[in-house]
Amino acid sequence: MPISIPKENASVADQASLTFESPVLTKPKGGSDSGPTLEDLSGLTKTVIRAEPNAMDPPFGQALAVGDMLLCGQRPGEWLAVGEASDCAAFVDGLDRSGHVSVIDHTHSRAMFRLSGSAAPKVLEKICSLDWSDAMTPTGAVVSASVAKVTCDIARVDSDDGAPAYLIACDRSFGQYLFDAIADAGTEFDLRAL
Amino acid sequence: MLLVPCPNCGPRNASDLRYVGEAGPRPDPNTATEAEWRSYLYIEDNPAGLLRETWYCRAGCRRYFVAERDTTSNEFVNSPLPGNKIGGKA
Ligand SMILES: [Zn+2]
Repeated sequence: MPISIPKENASVADQASLTFESPVLTKPKGGSDSGPTLEDLSGLTKTVIRAEPNAMDPPFGQALAVGDMLLCGQRPGEWLAVGEASDCAAFVDGLDRSGHVSVIDHTHSRAMFRLSGSAAPKVLEKICSLDWSDAMTPTGAVVSASVAKVTCDIARVDSDDGAPAYLIACDRSFGQYLFDAIADAGTEFDLRAL
Repeated sequence: MLLVPCPNCGPRNASDLRYVGEAGPRPDPNTATEAEWRSYLYIEDNPAGLLRETWYCRAGCRRYFVAERDTTSNEFVNSPLPGNKIGGKA
């Protein structure tokens, strides 16, 4: 008996026409302009590239701006490209495919938030056991860890004004929970959900 | 809290990792007896002292590695090396 393949799995190209819906449906009210901000960026294109560990820059644990796109070395031999769909597609097209390389679009399977502001490290410290000091995780650092018990990939990419900012990505099904958990941890710092 | 030294991620809370078990050589599946397989899968030495064990960095780099721990003090000794999967189930 032939195996039937659902259409959504038949071709990656077909997925380009899917409308993106964020897993974050509700956002807590409150906060102030002086507090940190939490923004839902789940709609950004997220492409995971796997290759030999030294196949390209940046190395594991670091992020690199490639044009308007961000490339994160999130595991040895695994990179996450984050940005607009056209930038990610152009980057993927230009990859050296001579070795063993795999490219998977995670846009619809991962939620992504941006937590920024001078109190952002303090918010993260409440719900993640890593050391969020500037010495251990400066801007450009990429780590994976549990945040409020959810396994997350985190890249620190500070704002233009120098304020700490973190891109936090988790599985889509945890998106609403994690958004609420981060917002809750930020309440005492007057966090504002955008 | 147990701090586990991941060779890729550095010291991590043990809750970020999964304990796989004691690390040891895997017997040759072509020649091992049933008793040897059973011993490999289920029988642990459980020494009081230095023990080589496999950990999986579940929330971090998602790699298996072997670390050496003193079971009487919970201190890790001899920093583990990345890719050292001897006895691991990767
Ligand atoms: Zn690790």
